[in-house]
Formats: sequence, C-alpha cells, structure tokens
Amino acid sequence: MIFLRRQMPLLITMITGLIFAGQYYVPHPASEQLLTSATKWLQIIGGFALVLGVTSLFQVHAAKIRRKEAGWGYSMVLYAGMLGTMAVGWWANGKESVEGVSTAFGWVYNFMMVPLQGTMFAILAFFIASAAYRSFRARSREAAVLLIAAVIVMMGRVPLGEYLVPISGDISQWILNVLNASVRRAILIGVSLGAVALSFKIIFGVERSYLGGGKE
Amino acid sequence: MSFAERMLKIDRRIIFVVIALCTLLPLLYPVGLPIKISQEVRGVYDHIESLPERSVILLSLDFDPASKPELYPQAVAILRHAFKKNLRVVAMTLWVSGTGMADELLTKVANESGKQRGADYVFLGWSPGGTAVIINMGQDLYNAFPSDYGSKPTKGQPVLEGVNSLKDVTYAVSLGAGNPGVEAWYVFGKDKYKFELGGGCTGVMAPGLYPLLRSGQINGLIGGLRGAAEYESLIGQKGRAVAGMDAQSATHVAIIVLVALCNMFYFTLRRQARQQGSQS
Amino acid sequence: MDATIIGAWVATGLTLFIFSFLYKDNPLFKLAENLYVGVSVGYTIVKTYDTVIVHLIWKPIVENQEWTLLIPVAIGLLMLTRYVPKAAWLSRYAFAFIVGVGAGLAIPRTVSSFILKQIEDTIRPLLMLVPGEGVTFSWNLMNPASSVNVIIVLIGVSSVLFYFFFSVEHKGPGKMVARTGVMFLMIAFGAAFGYTVMARMSLLIGRLTDLIEYSDPSYGRPTLWLALVTIGTLIALSLRSRSEPPEEG
Repeated sequence: MIFLRRQMPLLITMITGLIFAGQYYVPHPASEQLLTSATKWLQIIGGFALVLGVTSLFQVHAAKIRRKEAGWGYSMVLYAGMLGTMAVGWWANGKESVEGVSTAFGWVYNFMMVPLQGTMFAILAFFIASAAYRSFRARSREAAVLLIAAVIVMMGRVPLGEYLVPISGDISQWILNVLNASVRRAILIGVSLGAVALSFKIIFGVERSYLGGGKE
Repeated sequence: MSFAERMLKIDRRIIFVVIALCTLLPLLYPVGLPIKISQEVRGVYDHIESLPERSVILLSLDFDPASKPELYPQAVAILRHAFKKNLRVVAMTLWVSGTGMADELLTKVANESGKQRGADYVFLGWSPGGTAVIINMGQDLYNAFPSDYGSKPTKGQPVLEGVNSLKDVTYAVSLGAGNPGVEAWYVFGKDKYKFELGGGCTGVMAPGLYPLLRSGQINGLIGGLRGAAEYESLIGQKGRAVAGMDAQSATHVAIIVLVALCNMFYFTLRRQARQQGSQS
Repeated sequence: MDATIIGAWVATGLTLFIFSFLYKDNPLFKLAENLYVGVSVGYTIVKTYDTVIVHLIWKPIVENQEWTLLIPVAIGLLMLTRYVPKAAWLSRYAFAFIVGVGAGLAIPRTVSSFILKQIEDTIRPLLMLVPGEGVTFSWNLMNPASSVNVIIVLIGVSSVLFYFFFSVEHKGPGKMVARTGVMFLMIAFGAAFGYTVMARMSLLIGRLTDLIEYSDPSYGRPTLWLALVTIGTLIALSLRSRSEPPEEG
C-alpha cells in the first residue's frame, strides 16, 4: 500500500517527465501523436484543476455563514453573486452573446465583473503614487541611480515628457533596449536555469512538495 | 515638527486627490500632444502591413478585465488594421475571465468593418490548460478547438481553409497580461511550429520582454496604453488610447513632482539633523 | 428601461463603491469586493462547465465516440478526491501526471527558447561587415544592434549574472564586476518602476473614462447621482461610528 501511495506517484512523474522531455527530439509520427493526445488530456484535466481551485472558497465562506462569524453577511453576498452568475450562465448556455446579441450572462459579465475587476486594480494607481511620495528617496548612490532611471523612463514614455525634454524619449528607449534588456536577459537565463534544474529535481523525485500532504 | 516633516507625513488622501484631478482634468479637457512612434510598435504594424490579402493572423487575447484599459485598445487597433488589410482573423483567449471581453470586441470591430463570422474571422473562445492548448494547436488546431465560441464545428469554416495547425498561421500576435502570454506563445508555440510572432502586453510586463525583442524572438512589441496609442496613430484611427495619453502625461508629471518634493523634504531634514548633530 | 442603461447604473455604482476604499475601508467596498469574488467564481465555473464538460468531453464522446477521453476525465476526477480525506492520496496520481508531463514539456523548450537563444544573441560579432565600407565598428547608441550596444549588453548580462553567483566571493576585481551588475540592476528596476507607474495610471484612466461616459444624460447621469449617494453613505457611516460608544476590551 505504501508503494501505491508514495512510490507509484513518483514513478508516474518520472516516466511521464522523461517521455515528454525526450519527445521534443523525436519527430516520429507516433511520438507526435502522443504529444497531441497528452496535451488534449491536459486541457481537460486543466478544467478540473480550475474547479478544484475555486471550490476551496465555497468551504471557507460556508463555514463563516454556518458559524455566523463576523462579516458573514458579506459571505452571503459572495454566495448570492456566485449562484446568481451560475444561474444566468447556465440559462444562457455559457454564452455572453448569441449572434452578437448580449445575453443575461453577458450583461453580468460586462456590467458587473468587468467594472469590479477593473476598478479593483485601478485603485493601485493611487497607492503607487502615495508609496512613491513616501519612500522613493535617494538614500544611497544605488537608490539615486534607480530614481533617475525611473524619472527618465516616466518622462520619455509620455508625450508631455517628450515635448518638455525632447531627448528623454531617446534616452528611455536606449535604457529599455540596451541596459534594461541586458539585465532582464541575465535574469531570464538565471531563472530558466533554475526552472530546468527544478524540473529535473521533480522528475527524479528529489522535489516532492507538489504531491501535498495527506495520509500516507 | 518642522515644515519638511509635516509635508512628509501629509494625509495620503491629499495625494489621492492630486492623482484623481491629474487624470480627470485632461480627460475632460484634452490637449492632444503628438505621439512619437517607437520601433517596437512599428515592428508589429509593418509586419501586418506586409502580409498579402487573406493571410491568416492569429490573435490571442490573453488578458482579463483587470488589464482592459491597456490591452483592449491594442486589440481593437490590431483588429481594425487586420480587417482593413483583408486578412483572415483567428481569435482566441487563454484567460477564462477574458472570454466575454474578447467576444465583445471582436464582434464590435468586425461589424464596423463589415466582416462575416466564419468567412472572415472566427472566435475560438477559451480553453483551459494554458501552454498545453498552444502545443495542441501546434499539433492539430481542430483537436484543440473542435468547435468555436458559438458552438459551431471549426472544421469546414471558410476562414480556416488550409489551416490545420499553428504551422499554417502566417502571423500570430499575443496580447498578454501575464502567464500564459507572449513568452508562452514563443516557448510552446513559435519555438517548434515556426510562425512569426508579435507581442502586446501591459506596461508592467513590457520591460521583461525586451530580451525577446532584441533576439528577434518576437518581431515587435506593443507596450501598455502608450503602445496602443502609437498603434492607433499608425492606422490613423484614434481611439481610447490616444485620448488617454494626455491624462497619462499629467499623472507621470505629477508623480515626478511628488518624488522631487519628497526628496527635497528628505534632504532638508537630513541637513537639519546634521546641523543639530554638529551643534551638540 | 433599456438593459444597457441599467447596466450603466450598476457598473457605475460598483466602481464608486470600490473607489470609496480610498477614503477608508467601509461596508460599501466590502459589499463590492465580495460580489466581485462571487461573480468571478460563478463565471469561471460556468465557462469551465461549458467548455470542458460540454465541448471537450460530452460532445466528442457522444458524437464521435472518442472513448479515450475518459482517461483524462478519470485523472481529473482523481484530483477531486482531495475533498475526501480517506481517498485524498489518490489525487497524487493526478498531480504526478500533470507535473511530470509539465516538467517534461518545459525542459527542452525552456533550454532552447530562454537559455540558448538568449546566450546566442548576447555573444554577437563586435564588428560588422558593411558592403563598400569593409569592417566597421558602429558607435550609434540609438541603434540597439550597434557594436557599442552589443558590448554594453555583454557587460550587463555578464556582470548581473556574476552578481547573482554567490559561489565566488565578491572581492578584488570581482567586487568591481558585482558593483557594475548592481548599477545595471538599479537602472532596470528604475525602468520597471517607470513602466509600473505607467500601467497603473492607465488602469485608472480606463475606469475614469467609463465614469465620464456614464455621466452622459443619455444614461441618466448615473456617475453624478451615485457619487452623491456614495459620499452621503460614507458621511452617514462616519457619523454613526462616531456616535457609537467604543467597544470595551
């Protein structure tokens, strides 16, 4: 039983990992067919993973409502929003529009979800301005370099900045294309090496945290 | 408490009001300063411009409402350009919460350009799996998307004539707000299936995509609202992005002034502290 | 009343409720916040059901007899055993498959796309052969592909990689290289900050553009009326919290 619970999953990871790493270098029709099938399967499994991700929310808020914890009324709002959206969604066969005409589901999406999500992120504009005022100080030489680069890019990427200081546009282009690109490239190479190393650790069973806890 | 100290500790809501006014006033009273076109944006524009009629362009709208102000105008501008050039458009999204928006913008621009669904364009909709969808499309497009957004079978649609996989796509543009987005389309798409790729992204992501631009892995990059404004200027149809540029200018200048003030007060305090230290 | 007009009022109200957080945390914001989560989850469930269950599973199996698709369905169902404590270990099979295939697919593609291609572009010829001019060294900073920029990129990539390489102590000439790397990093962080500001302001511009559009008389000026309602509610809530005695304890 321990084998089925512990070693078997590691074996599955190793076999599938090695097969699909090797598949890249084998352009045989059978190998290509394997890739086609596996990626189709991943699409379907991805759907289940999404459901798994969102359903944990149900439990948290259901418990809040059951125990009448502080703010349980808001959990009711959450449930109402969710169930209402699901009801109109299924009524509209999951389509926001049919032949270009908006459905009730499309209405919920366009007039509730879009403004809610959009505004949630838009308020960050105010906080970044406040944070810049409070903490963006040239305390050291490095901080001064960062600050100057930020100011040049902020000037160079807007018409008013280019109008007031015409050269700011060219300098910010050079910063982005050359200095920024070289740093990002170094980071990309470093992160990619790390990702490849982690993938090998997963394939060979050194890294196992993805299997999660639970009973042995 | 000195003046500098008081100024450094002002209520943050005053800063909020300043930012709100700097955004609102230019939107209400636009000036319309000229917008300079960058090489990155021109890369995407020139490539679409060079495509022969009825070429297939794949537009992956990989964003959600959180990035709508930046990427929606980019999508509208590219679609207008593609339809004007009489290209066949295959649109899709890898982000579930972007599906409704992608459908809405595609229908809107297609209607204004007089294009027919199924003949001139198709919306494949969304499919889960992220990068797996890209690979599966590279293997067999009809396997990844057996039906389109409107539940019609994809096989047999005139717009997809001669298209079996990503290998048959002339140009692909991913407008991405994160992962999966432009990088994923390169790694899991272009790397193996060898189509030309262009990118559009949010401002936050843009600096991170310059290495791919330098190496030619993407042939152009539209970054944020500014990039969208440049594209709108290139196609000669000014829209929401160009209209937002004055507000963008004003807020940037406001932030620069705030940072300058903050540093001025900070150095004043530091000098005062040094003077007090030397006196005692 | 037209659905678009009602929609304009709802969208405006919800936008203003979220903006009310800028004054302080309040019930209007919490209401909108929880509604946002609920609607988003509901939307994701509906789209996943329609796309996966109907179009990727049910139709291909019933209409085309693609029975092999039952395998990913079984793997997907194994994933959901996470909610049954006694059978939760079965979900490991599903995760093992996803992670194994994912890691296998990623390794060669990442090496090819992000490691080899990026290194290849970093080590470019420093001199260019221009027809009629012979071998030249281009000093033009504004041309990203010029020789001088190729050298700068090479220095930048090497010094930043060296800075993150902690197996060698950063002293002597190494200290200078690491310091160069830090300077490059600071400039890139500055550029990233500038772009982040640009992105955040764009989002605000987008929302305010919608609010301006909804202040039009054709919609019944929801922006103006609902702004008054929101401000009024915030004042009322503020007065009520002042009149209530502070909680003990």
